[in-house]
Amino acid sequence: MKNVTGNLQRDLEALKRILPAEDILTFSFASEEIDFACVFADPITDKELLGEQVVRPLLRYTGERKAEAVKKKLTSPEVKTERSLQTLAEEVLAGNPVLLWEGADEGIVAGTKKVFIRAIAEPSMDVAVKGPREGFIEDVKVNTSLVRRRLKTPELRIEMMKLGRRSDTFVAVCYLEGTSVKKTVEDVKKKLSAIDIDVIPDSSYLTHFLSSRPFSLLKQVGTTEKPDIFCAKIAEGRVGLIVDGSPIALTVPYLLVEDFQSAEDYFVPPYRATFTRLLRLFALIVAVYLPAFYVAAQLFKLQLFPVRLLLTIAGSIRDIPLSPSLEMLLVLLVLEVLNEASIRMPKYVGMALSVVGALVLGETAVSAGFVSTPAIIIIAFSGIGLYAVPNLIEQTSVLRLVMLLVAGSVGTYGIILVTAFLLLYLATAENFGAPVLAPFAPMLGRDLRDSLVKYNLGSLPMRPKTLKSPNRRRLK
Amino acid sequence: MKKISPRQLFFFLACIAPVGKLVLMPSRLVVEAKNDLLFPALVGFAVQTGVVFCVLLLAKRGESFADMLAATFGKIAAKVLLCVFAAFLLFAAFLPLLEQKLFVQSAFYDTLPSVVTFAPFFLFSAYLCAKPLGSLGRIWDILAPVSIVGFAGIMLLSVGSADYGALLPAGAAGAGGFWRGLAAAASWFFDGALLLPFLGKIDYRRGTAWKGALAYAAGGVAVLFFLATFYGVFAEIALNQPFAFTKTSKYFSGITVLGRIDYLFSYALALVMAFFVALPVQACVDCVKQAFGAPKYLPAALSVLLNLGLFFLALGLDYRFVEIMQVFAQTLFWIFPVFCVAVPLLCLLLRRSHASQ
Repeated sequence: MKNVTGNLQRDLEALKRILPAEDILTFSFASEEIDFACVFADPITDKELLGEQVVRPLLRYTGERKAEAVKKKLTSPEVKTERSLQTLAEEVLAGNPVLLWEGADEGIVAGTKKVFIRAIAEPSMDVAVKGPREGFIEDVKVNTSLVRRRLKTPELRIEMMKLGRRSDTFVAVCYLEGTSVKKTVEDVKKKLSAIDIDVIPDSSYLTHFLSSRPFSLLKQVGTTEKPDIFCAKIAEGRVGLIVDGSPIALTVPYLLVEDFQSAEDYFVPPYRATFTRLLRLFALIVAVYLPAFYVAAQLFKLQLFPVRLLLTIAGSIRDIPLSPSLEMLLVLLVLEVLNEASIRMPKYVGMALSVVGALVLGETAVSAGFVSTPAIIIIAFSGIGLYAVPNLIEQTSVLRLVMLLVAGSVGTYGIILVTAFLLLYLATAENFGAPVLAPFAPMLGRDLRDSLVKYNLGSLPMRPKTLKSPNRRRLK
Repeated sequence: MKKISPRQLFFFLACIAPVGKLVLMPSRLVVEAKNDLLFPALVGFAVQTGVVFCVLLLAKRGESFADMLAATFGKIAAKVLLCVFAAFLLFAAFLPLLEQKLFVQSAFYDTLPSVVTFAPFFLFSAYLCAKPLGSLGRIWDILAPVSIVGFAGIMLLSVGSADYGALLPAGAAGAGGFWRGLAAAASWFFDGALLLPFLGKIDYRRGTAWKGALAYAAGGVAVLFFLATFYGVFAEIALNQPFAFTKTSKYFSGITVLGRIDYLFSYALALVMAFFVALPVQACVDCVKQAFGAPKYLPAALSVLLNLGLFFLALGLDYRFVEIMQVFAQTLFWIFPVFCVAVPLLCLLLRRSHASQ
């Protein structure tokens, strides 16, 4: 690996060979005695700061040519010296300008990178009416500062790792020393170190590498956009990961019950929190099972309908050309397309989409006799119900489709068997040593107090047993 | 290796094992013992409670069934005995399997479906069998509340229609009826034997044996209550009412308005039953695994093979259930007392392995 030679021209050429891109600029200036050159990446370097903190102090420099002496003259708070040209090149790419001069045996790196960050805002997911509104943004430093502000303890460890051969993405591994299980922390770091990928654009890339079953339909890593939830999870003994460039932080071990808990549950009375958690579960079950049961009942077991409802359904499906399962699949497909389109399309066309979706596709399809009214109602209810647990939407929407297909071919017994498969799979699955279905399977009495039911904080003196924290007591 | 906690074991004994006795056993008992159906069932439960107690006493040693057999009879004989026991478990699994198939065809479909509709069960069973027995504990944690809700729902909808006076006068069927009932019900009482492969996988704590027996007895009481309600609802025509738990609640007055909501409770029990019916096959796979060690492919390969075999057997004997049940009740009924009572009791005489000594 080449080092700085002291011959300015040769060093600049060497650096340029490593960084041939056109947006890497060289700015030359001279003090009364020395010729300097500053290499920087144009789009990501704050040139104003560079001028103020690096160039201006050196214009009248007359002292020694040693790096330590030059460094003392600079007014930038983040300054370091570096000998390796490769490392200097990496710093340039990170937005930090590199200063070289004739006769120097080291280069100086000044921390004057330009930071493009959006303001801290309320995230689109995990919205809470009561409680903190802050959300993570795309900058890892801001995000770790949000965490540090909430956990002002020396036990909070934030270990930075660089991942991605080309992206050099910073990943902050956050945990509470003495509260998180050491083995989990080590396992996470080991899995992260083993990642050999060129670019990590988002935290979702890491979930794949952290999962013990990468092809699983089900989630294996917890996600949150809110620092308060992130800190609460860390305080329970989990390990958190913040990835530079991503507003979504990750936590492990992940338990399924986490997605039924919302931040707001901790700011409202426990009976209300219990009610809403049960409501979420009910909504999810209905959303996944209702279309399937409706189809299975129509095809295989009409007795499941009350007589009056059966007559109404019979009346509405009389002229429908499609079989119940095809009809339901069609409506479901339309819902999924509408859903996908409404997320991707420009906001100003949203109104038009609503009109097309609700009126043209819904109303007209019913009056044209393509689909029946009950099918639309059921899919609409199912569509809404799924969003009661938004963090599981990717999994539950697929599950709903599977249930529907099975119900259309095997009937209710198929639904029961898929449920049995699912239960068996979930009950035996583990995530960084924690059973995914805990505290229900295995049933952990104390942990049940903050599961689907929510006790008040006074009744939750211990951290969840599932997470095996060495420091179990949180309330003294 | 994961171990089954005492709580999980109690859940199995109290809430999951009894579910298998709610399908055809009630009507079968009425055929043989008429209004005295409770007595053979009571004896069956009492005997099995004793057997469960004895097997759980063995669990205290913390040794596997294979180790104990090897310590007493030597390694080769232990392998042979384990294979014989595995064969019995497969045999014991067959009747509940056919029973489940008929139940599914009746309760889940308006018209008789093709036998292939039951085929996915074997996929599930193969998946379950490939899992180690020790991992079942967590499933039992989940299934116990499901079973309680299903059973409680059906009973709540049924008790109002039951006339418990129909059970009187007691003893009308005489001793003959009682013995015939006992023989007919024998094939449903294999719970004690089912626990033998679990030896060494139970996290035994003080009092687990008697608490386990008590849990099983509690499940038995629930089944007896159901049997009484079943006969109370249907009286003499109960013998023509197979798949009892889908029938007892059909006279609930709210059904005309709400539809067959009782089916939802039946489906909850069907979910529990899917696990229970596959359990003997899983225990059979485990016995073979204990006999021949556990190379990675063995459980998966064996479970696929066994379930494929059972599927074709079920396919071949699709319309022969009555004959099969008669063979089980009249000719082969002695197999159950031998393997489900005598064998577990004799196991108390097995030596401890050198390792545990």
